[in-house]
Parts: sequence; structure tokens; C-alpha cells
Amino acid sequence: MSDKPTILFVDDEERILRSLKMLFMGTFKVKTTTDGREAIEMLKQETVHVLVSDQRMPNMTGVEVLREARNVSPNTMRLLLTGYSDLAAIVGSVNEGEIFRYINKPWKSEEIKAIVEQAAQIAIQLGSASKSAPSKQVAAKIQAEPSISDEAEGLKILVLDEEPSTYEIIEELIKESKNIHWSKNVEDAFAHLSQETVAIVVSEVRIQDEDISAPLKTLKRYNPNILTLVLTSFQDTKSLIELINYGQVYRFLPKPIHKGLLEKSLRAAMQHYRAMQARPELLMRHVVEKPKEAESTAHRISDKVLGYLKKIRARRPDSSEAVH
Amino acid sequence: MKTADTIASLTLKIPSIKPTNTVNDVAQLFLTDDFKHLLSLPIVDKGTPVGLISRYDLNKVYLKMYGRELYGRQPITQLMTKAVSVEREQPIEAASQFITRNIRFPIMEDFVITENGQYVGVGIVLDLLKAMERRVLLRTKELSKAYQSLKESQAQLVQSEKMASLGQMVAGVAHEINTPLGYVRNNVEVTQNLFGQTKALLENYEQLVALLMAETMDEDALGEQLGLVSEMSEPFREEGLLDSMQDLFKDSLYGVDQISELVMNLKDFSRLDQARTDNVDINKCLDSALNIGKNVLKYKVTVKKLYGELPPLKCSPSQLNQVFLNLLTNAAQAIEDKGTIWIKTWADGGWVHVTIQDSGKGIAPEVIKKIFDPFFTTKPVGEGTGLGLSISYKIVEQHSGQIKVASEIGKGTKFLISLPLNPESVQKNPASTARLDSNEVTEPEAD
Repeated sequence: MSDKPTILFVDDEERILRSLKMLFMGTFKVKTTTDGREAIEMLKQETVHVLVSDQRMPNMTGVEVLREARNVSPNTMRLLLTGYSDLAAIVGSVNEGEIFRYINKPWKSEEIKAIVEQAAQIAIQLGSASKSAPSKQVAAKIQAEPSISDEAEGLKILVLDEEPSTYEIIEELIKESKNIHWSKNVEDAFAHLSQETVAIVVSEVRIQDEDISAPLKTLKRYNPNILTLVLTSFQDTKSLIELINYGQVYRFLPKPIHKGLLEKSLRAAMQHYRAMQARPELLMRHVVEKPKEAESTAHRISDKVLGYLKKIRARRPDSSEAVH
Repeated sequence: MKTADTIASLTLKIPSIKPTNTVNDVAQLFLTDDFKHLLSLPIVDKGTPVGLISRYDLNKVYLKMYGRELYGRQPITQLMTKAVSVEREQPIEAASQFITRNIRFPIMEDFVITENGQYVGVGIVLDLLKAMERRVLLRTKELSKAYQSLKESQAQLVQSEKMASLGQMVAGVAHEINTPLGYVRNNVEVTQNLFGQTKALLENYEQLVALLMAETMDEDALGEQLGLVSEMSEPFREEGLLDSMQDLFKDSLYGVDQISELVMNLKDFSRLDQARTDNVDINKCLDSALNIGKNVLKYKVTVKKLYGELPPLKCSPSQLNQVFLNLLTNAAQAIEDKGTIWIKTWADGGWVHVTIQDSGKGIAPEVIKKIFDPFFTTKPVGEGTGLGLSISYKIVEQHSGQIKVASEIGKGTKFLISLPLNPESVQKNPASTARLDSNEVTEPEAD
């Protein structure tokens, strides 16, 4: 019995909980609660591999539960399961909850099973890896925060945006402009990515009036080391959700750019990048969902960019070596 | 300015008389055909009008005894009066105002038209009247055209407000449906899976029976089958699986009912016709508005219903639902964190009354005067059309009813809607139990 992974569902509708419990009973140790605070208590007391939370609940929102969960149980994989896809929830779930997947209600049982089982596998591996090499570097970072330009030391950043303001703000923050590359179009950006080891990509979703989320998603699939910060002024919730599930976007930054938020997000990305270098198993958290319509996605990427993407994949350090 | 709009269009180029002309000369002139339609003649000295001699004044002199003999040789200036003169560039309206103010009554003279103070001709009051009449007619046409297009755009605005609130409502309800849809679908999939297991178990069970009933008993096969059946039925025995399944069925039915209720309520709202229906239960309208607005209310508002017994009302339920939903969402928006909405209904003296009261932030006195005005809104640009309450007001008015409001900052706001049972013979005012004259908002109590 004890070899079953533990899953915790939080939803204010008990019928949802009963239903999910029946679905996962066979393969998981299923815990449920209607109260976010109780969920946090449960996370403190025992190992929970996967946490699935609803967004709209009376006492604590899903984003709040996920954010707290990140603090009290960092190895737990976090998922949001919601019938409301409002922008605040989507942005919050990424920026604060750092979720693995965003699942819409109603869901298909086979799909949710596959996602949750994958998440559980990752959590189990993360758990055993962190036991063998306990690292407290996150706590150490908080004590004395270096300036962002120190933090950026040696990390390469790519900015993909037609407007100059994004690049200008980042240059002002980091000062070391030789490590920042500014591309105004997709081809230039991916050519650069195929030649340099870039840590962080800060990109707009629309370039030359085209949606470039397909190459962004593929980039993450081919090179999960790169952390993407997505700037966007358009509010198509469906495509943002896809950027989470298929692109593991690290942060969403609404436009016009808020300098403080950009700085905070960049800093978090830099720290996370270094943490991933120290503990490569963390990479697993960012495994993207396999695209369902692989062909139609490929159609939206030009051959040139696809060529660069293949080079990027070839450059990537073999993940099977990195991950135990 | 076009000539047609100025006094120039009325100019009659009449030769003027000089101040030195005698009374007799002028009398002769009045008798000629050229001047027979004129009431007066202008007297002009070196281009500048100096006065006017009216036919009436001349007649007065001639009718006197020896008038002709006494005055005939005198210069006409002896009898002249001051001329009412206007510049030819003057617009007709302004000139008309000036002339009516200054001309003598009864009308016995014409007016003089000048250009830069120089004489150009005379104008006839009757022509001025005709010109004015034409202009009024034109103006009326323009006005009624403007009125028509205003009415159309207002109807469009009302429609777009309705579509906007409908769109919001549909989005909210769609989200609301996702939750029951989520578990109903999952339950069906789970039970479908279990049904597969049940079917397989049943088949194996039948094989077991067949083995038992066989004439020659194959003990090995029987033992194997027995083990298989017992193994397959194990999951059904553990953890009260069958009971849980029963719960899933119950939940699914509940979920389906929830969905159909939402859809039914949505239908009540979306009817775009405004047909009046008999036998409408206002309490039910309120419930349906509450259900549709659940999305906005659920997590921040406790709704306390104090429904009284109401007689059936003849009204347009889809319109009144719109009013109730509008008031309920406003109430929810007035509540910043968490609060209460009280809904009270009662009937008396041929009226049905509804109060919707919230524990929200309240409305300031200078704002409350304007809340029913079209386009008045306190919401940020793009969030409210400012038409919600003005449309609500109109709808209640069309039902011969009344809508009133009382509010207290920091305490909340209370709306009272009173609807007559018989709109054809409305008493002037609803009964005294439906007063809302004090601006004190106190928590309602059940009667």
C-alpha cells in the first residue's frame, strides 16, 4: 500500500473530490479537502507527491494554495484544475504557483490520469534525489541578496521583442550589455540560440503581428534548460494555458512592462537557472506536455527556425546523463 | 451665411423720398400702383435713412378739416416717424426679434433695410412672418429627424447593454456549468470502466455456474475458475466500492439537475421578447436571478432571503429578471470583501414589493441623485455602460411600478421595487409599508 504515491485534491465542491477519488483510488493514496488551509497543513505533515487544486474557493484561492505549497513542500508537483480560465488565475498560477499543468474542467479521465501519473513519477524522483543531496541553497540566497547585475554574472539573456523598451530596461538593470542579445525577429533569435548557451529568454508572444508561441513551446521541448519569460499584452486565455502546458513558461509578464516585476522575475529566473545547474534533477519539473497536433504546430514554424531548433536540440546536454 | 438666411432676401428696392419732398408729393406717390402694397415710405437724406412716413399717419392728416391745405405744402419731415431699420446682413431670426420689439402696433409701417447704414430698400413685416414660418417648418423637420435618430441610437444602446450583460451572464454560467460537467463526465468514465470489470466478472461467474452444473465435474477447472472469480470480485468488496459507486450516480444526477436548472434560468433571461405573462411568481424570478448571478455572488456574499407570500403578477419576467440581476450584481460589487445581501418580498394593498439590500460601501448623497441617469457610472471606463440602472428604472416604470433607493456610507444600500398587481388601475402610491424615505439603512428582519 505504502508504495502508492500520494495525491491531494483541493476543491470546494465535494462531488468533484468524490469523483476524482474514485478515479485515482486504484493507483494513488488519495487525500481530499475542501479547505485550502487544511491542505497546507496536510502538506506539512506528510509527503504529498502531487497537489491538484481548484482555483475559485471560499477561503483561499487556488493560486494562494499553490504558492503556500511551494514554500512548505517544494518537491510536490503542483497542478491547477479549474472551470474558470480568467487571466489573473492563469498569470498567478505561473508566477506564484509555478505549476506543472493547468487543467480545465471538464477534463477527460484518461488525460488527467496520464498527466497526474507523470507528475507523480517526477515527484518521486525529485524526492529521492533531494534526500541523497539535501541542498539548502535557496534559504541561503534569501539571507543576503546580491544585486541583480551580480546575480546575472555569466548568464546570457536573449530578448525577443520588436519594441526597444524591454531591452532597454533589462540593459539598465543588468548593466553588462555584452551578455544581452536583442532580436527583433524570430529567425535572428533562434540563430543566436543555436550558437550560444542562453539561460533566459525574455520574449513577446507576437512578433511582426504573428503568434510565435509555437516556436517558444518547441524551444522548451528541445532545450528545457532555457527559462522563458513571456511578455504579452494580448489576453487570449487559451493560448496562455497552452504556453504553460506545452511551453512551461517560467513567468508571464503583462505589458506594458512593470520594471519591478521584470526585475523580480529575472532574478527568480537566474536563481532558478543556477539551482537547476546545481541540481539537474530539477529540470524534470519543466517537462512539457507532448503536443497533440504535432503537425499543425510544425506548420507554424518556418523551416529556417526549425533548422535552428534542431541545432539547439543537438547542443543541449543529454538529459539522461544529467538526470539520475 | 447664405442670402436666404439673412434679411437681404426680403429686400424690396423701393425708391426713397427726400426730406424736402412735400406732404402732397408723398400722398400722390402712395396712390401710384408701384407703392400700393406698401404701408410706408422711407425718407432718405444723402443715402442715410432719416425716418418713415406711414400711409396711416398721412391719412390721419388728410382726414382732418383743412388738413390738406394746412400740411400739403409742408416738407414731409413734419409728419415722419422714426424708422425701424436693420442691416441686410442680419440673420432673419435676430432681425425678426429686433423688429417685433421695436415696431409700432397695430402694424402700420414697413421696416428699412440698410447696408453699412446706407439705405438699400424696405422689407414687409408679412414677408418676414412668412420667412420665419418657413424656417420653423424646416427646423421642425430637422428636429424630428434628430429625435428619430436619437431614439434609434438609444434603442441600440439599450440593446447593446442587454447584450453586454447577457454576454457576461453567459460566460459566468458557462463557467458555472464546468464544475458539474467535470464530475458528471468523470463519474460516467469511472463507472464505465467499472462496468467493464463487472461485465467480465459476470461472464466468469456464468462460466463458474456452467462448470458447477456440468455432468462431469472438472475439479481442476472449477478450482481455477473459483479463484479467478474471487480475485476479480475483490476490488468490489474492498473500500465499499459499490456504495461509492452509488454515490457517484447520485452525484451525477444532482449535477445534471444543476446544469439543467442553470440552462432553464438562462432561457428565462435570454427571451428577447417582452411579452407580459400572467401568473408570474416574483419570488421565483428572484431565485432565477440569484442562480444566474451565482458566479458573482458565490464566494463573497451570503444571501438572506426573507420571502413573503406573493400573489401572481402579470408582468414580463425576462425584463424583471434583468432588473433583479442588475441590482444583485451591483450589490455584490458594492461589497468589497465579504458581506450580506438581504432580499425581502411582501404584498399589500394591490402591490408587490421587493427590497434588495446589501452591506456594501454605500452610495454618497451627491452620487445617489444621479444613479438612475443614463450613462452615469462610477465604474472605470470600459467596465460599465452606465445604463444598467437607468434601464432598470425604465422597466419598472413600464410596469407602472416604482423603484426607490436609500443608502448610508459604510453601511449599505437598499433598493425598493414596488409593482402594482393591476397596472391599469394603479393607485397613486404604494401602501405605507413600502416607504423608503429615511436614509437610514438598517438590517431587515423577517415579519
